[in-house]
Amino acid sequence: MSNQYLVEPCLDFVEQVASLGGDSVKKCYQCATCTVACTIAPDNSPFPRKEMIATSWGLKDRVLGSADIWMCHECGDCSELCPRGAQPADVLSAARSAAITEYATPKFLGKMVNDAKMLPLFLGIPAAWFALMAFITMTMGESMEKLFKGFGMHWHHHTDAPIASADFVSSWLVDVTFVPLLNLSILIFLIGLIKFVKDIHANAVLEGKTDKTDFNLVQYLVSVVKAIPTIMLHKKFNECGENKSRALAHQMVLFGFIGCFIVTAIFFVVLYIGGVAGPYDQINPVKILANIAGVGIVVGSFLMIKDRLAKSEPSSFKDWALLVLVFGLGATGMLTQGVRLLGYIDGLVGIAQVVSYFFYYIHLILIFCLFAYLPFSKMAHIVYRVAALGYAEYANRK
Amino acid sequence: MTKKIGMYICTGCGIGDVLKVDDMVAVVEDEGTTCKTHECLCSDAGVDFLKAEVAEGTNFLGIAACSRRVNFDIFKFENTMVDRINLREGVVWSHSREKYPVPTQEQIDSDDDSFDEIQMLAEDYLRMGMVKLEKIEIPEGYKTESLSKKILVLGGGVTGISSALDAAAAGYDVTIVEKEDAIGGYAAKLRKQMPVVEPFDALVNPVIDEKIKAVEEASNITVKTGTVVARIAGQPGEFTVTFKKPGETVPFDCPLPVPEEQKVDADGNELDVEAVQEIYNQINDGREDLLSLDPDGELYGAVILAAGWRPADLDGEEYAHLGAGDADVISNAQFEEIAAKGKITRPSDGKEAKNVVFVQSPGKGDDDSDFGYAGSVTSMVSLKQAKYVREDYEDGKAYVFYQHMRTPGLQEYFYKGIQQDNGIFLSKGDVVGVTKNGSEFTVDAENTLLGEKLQVKADLVVLAGGMVPATVDDPILNLAYRQGPGFRDNDIYDGYADSNFICFPYETQRTGIYAAGCVRRSMTMEESIEDATGAALKAIQCIESVDRGVAVHPRSGDMTYPDFFFQRCTQCKRCTEECPFGALDDDEKGTPKPNPARCRRCGTCMGACPERIVGFADYTIDSIGSMIKSVWVPSEDDYYEPPMRIIALVCENDAYPALDIAAMNRLEFSADVRFIPVRCLGSVNVIWIKDALSTGVDGIMLLGCNHGDDYQCHFVKGSEIAEVRTRKMGETLQSMALEPERVAMHQVAIDEYDKLPEIVNTFADTVTELGPNPFKGF
Repeated sequence: MSNQYLVEPCLDFVEQVASLGGDSVKKCYQCATCTVACTIAPDNSPFPRKEMIATSWGLKDRVLGSADIWMCHECGDCSELCPRGAQPADVLSAARSAAITEYATPKFLGKMVNDAKMLPLFLGIPAAWFALMAFITMTMGESMEKLFKGFGMHWHHHTDAPIASADFVSSWLVDVTFVPLLNLSILIFLIGLIKFVKDIHANAVLEGKTDKTDFNLVQYLVSVVKAIPTIMLHKKFNECGENKSRALAHQMVLFGFIGCFIVTAIFFVVLYIGGVAGPYDQINPVKILANIAGVGIVVGSFLMIKDRLAKSEPSSFKDWALLVLVFGLGATGMLTQGVRLLGYIDGLVGIAQVVSYFFYYIHLILIFCLFAYLPFSKMAHIVYRVAALGYAEYANRK
Repeated sequence: MTKKIGMYICTGCGIGDVLKVDDMVAVVEDEGTTCKTHECLCSDAGVDFLKAEVAEGTNFLGIAACSRRVNFDIFKFENTMVDRINLREGVVWSHSREKYPVPTQEQIDSDDDSFDEIQMLAEDYLRMGMVKLEKIEIPEGYKTESLSKKILVLGGGVTGISSALDAAAAGYDVTIVEKEDAIGGYAAKLRKQMPVVEPFDALVNPVIDEKIKAVEEASNITVKTGTVVARIAGQPGEFTVTFKKPGETVPFDCPLPVPEEQKVDADGNELDVEAVQEIYNQINDGREDLLSLDPDGELYGAVILAAGWRPADLDGEEYAHLGAGDADVISNAQFEEIAAKGKITRPSDGKEAKNVVFVQSPGKGDDDSDFGYAGSVTSMVSLKQAKYVREDYEDGKAYVFYQHMRTPGLQEYFYKGIQQDNGIFLSKGDVVGVTKNGSEFTVDAENTLLGEKLQVKADLVVLAGGMVPATVDDPILNLAYRQGPGFRDNDIYDGYADSNFICFPYETQRTGIYAAGCVRRSMTMEESIEDATGAALKAIQCIESVDRGVAVHPRSGDMTYPDFFFQRCTQCKRCTEECPFGALDDDEKGTPKPNPARCRRCGTCMGACPERIVGFADYTIDSIGSMIKSVWVPSEDDYYEPPMRIIALVCENDAYPALDIAAMNRLEFSADVRFIPVRCLGSVNVIWIKDALSTGVDGIMLLGCNHGDDYQCHFVKGSEIAEVRTRKMGETLQSMALEPERVAMHQVAIDEYDKLPEIVNTFADTVTELGPNPFKGF
């Protein structure tokens, strides 16, 4: 018999999943009620029963390399019906979290990001960085302008607004931070993704979950594109029974981020190619989109926080970290703008400027966190889930 | 005491609406017996009415009302005999006027046959009741010559000790006999044990130590270690017990019966009585006679058999695929031994065993059987032992492959608790191979919960061997009974000591001997401790019943006992051999020696006796025979086409209540059938059948319990014996030029009441087709 069937349980993995909120996994006695309850599990080799035993046996590669854990939307139907008090939804969530850590490079960073003790350090880095950037912007404006002129560019983006965030931290410095950071994140993601897709394919072949033994990249990418409408409309998410309301909240946040991404891209072009600096008019259609997106993020994440507070069991650090981050991003963004607009009222300029800069400072720190820690945090699900759902489409998993 | 019979007809519950009560009173009074009616005999007024009758001297009451199965506690009076004539369930509820209308005056006036079949049925039952009362007597109970209230416990393990403590706490003197040099048994050889109290979720330290201490402190418990029983003679209440050291030979060693294969010669012909006796004498040379009592023996009232178990032997071809025979493939019992000594190591090289595979079932593919004599306890032992691995090694891994994970009752919490350990891995699966590579095993499993095929590495493989009851190897009891020293036909229970597991736990085939613990089935300690209490209570019940002169079980409180008229005994030994409980011994000539305290009052001896010399005070050959003969069998002199008459002898334990249930559900029976309850079909004597046929009865049916390996007979063998006798009866019938189909036996379970009407009515139709009994009218 070949060694592909040899299993060597990894006790650390069981421990890891338990610490990530999957501590109920060992209660499972394999009755498969969860699998029957799940509305979105495919007929062939359905989940989450097999993931439950594989996790409790510490079969790390089998669990983390399975696309199935990403098909679960954590509706909790299975957890609700489990006769033994195991929480398959939480276990799969913990497995996803472990998978993100597993596929992110470098690994130590992944572990650190999800460690609550490291939080001060991870907030401190951007805080110090943007303090430095603000210092440069506010004290070295003239010298920078001179320097930029040498290249035929302007340091200052002139504006008539009484308060402009660019006067606190220059748009140049913001973008010189975030553009490379985002690219670095994408690069890290790419490294992880290549291994991830390879693993989930191998796992699907081993467990007979795919009708394709050879992997065709082009076909796979076409499948990913095909999966996009399902993802955008939260079709699978809406099939879930328990706490359906989460789907709407999640959709609001997702669309909010997409909106913000579009707005940022447009203004990036407007600023650096069109040379028109912000703040822009409130009636500017792009600005309107930005505000709608901002409200979407705030309201969506607020609903999610409410939902999570109502849960009987405490949620893990990674769950809270992401929710607070998302809500904080939306809230500080909206507050920065709101307080900035107060500057148009006579007499409030002074105080409004300070408060607005403060919110903007927090906002920048949070954006930094979002980008820098993206491949390591729960936020990475946006990439792995899309890749896995695309694979399910490719593997014809129904 | 003079007998004064009174018949009382209740007109309630529809009886008065369906039947012509005045005619029935006339039937009774024609015989010169008092007959009174009441609108509701079970009411306070009715009972007061009956009490007044008793006060006026009536001591044999025939209550013609509802079934004997109901209101038996209401119709109970001091120093009286009550018989119940079943008019409600037996007549009016099971026969409707739609089917059997009252003949109109026109029909009666015409020359055609016209008769009221329901009325005829009721009047027959009244006649039968009357004659029965005439034939029976009030029993006086059987008293043993001496009475010991001491309880003997065989086995000093957790079960025996628990039984002893329970019986002692109830105030009885107890002796524990243990063949080892110390009590405690297997329970004292464990590292830890399964939980016995809430919350049932983790291993606990063995509970035996405290129990041993309690035994030492109890003033009324005597412990005999290094001792076994040489012989138990006599009967409950006065068992004479001879003790000896294990392996010792003493004159009072139990005599052994001649094995069946030695009772025939080389050609298979049965040897004569003298030749068998010769062989018997040879076998038992040097042993005291069966009937002689050890003058130095100790008297006990009842015995608790708690002899326990031994680990099953797991070597052999059968388990070769599991690596059986390798030094590091061990049984759960061997594993426990290692664990009790210290850290888990391998027997072959003493190295740490960190990866251990526990195999629950040798079966694979379609065969999902566990090891022989396994049970829920072996499932739980694997969980327990898996935990040992984790206790000893932080990086230890314990795998359990099972076909069945049995954790009944609250032990589910134990299962759940053990599962929580990160290093314990459970999966259903067929273990198809155990191969050794160097010092390491590779265990191959198929059809697992993790996929079709699975392979794990192991340092040690543990097989979940079962617990073989001690009664497989040794009768233990060494009863000086003619039927042998242990339990008869015990192989149908795979050697477990039991008579009827579901209905009568603790009861064995031998009255006064109560089994508990792993001689009954493989058990956990929690179960054994509970079992021990049950057996202790049964032992106490037995002693107290013997003291009051009544039966213990299942006819608890029955004062009657079999009475033998020995002058007519032909020493045929049928009673001795057929008694399901070994109640009868015999002397050298073969004259039976009854031991009434061993008896369960089933009457199998009464049914067996060709001389009809066995009877009970209220149940005799004559009483039932007279009832049969009192049925009016109309002949062609009476009617142009006389109705058929069928007698049904019905087991009162299951079949009779089933008839009542059918009646309660208003299921209808043929009005040609007269049902007579009997103690057990084993008590049915063929003379009743012959008498019935000779009086012109057209057919006889026997309704009794299912027999065979899954028998339901309360008396183990009764219905089986009846089946054999009925078959033989068929041959006799043919010699009388009668169709053998006129006599039939049917097996019914108590819950098959819905099938009864069809069984009865089909038989009635068969008899109708055969036509009237040619002896009718003679």
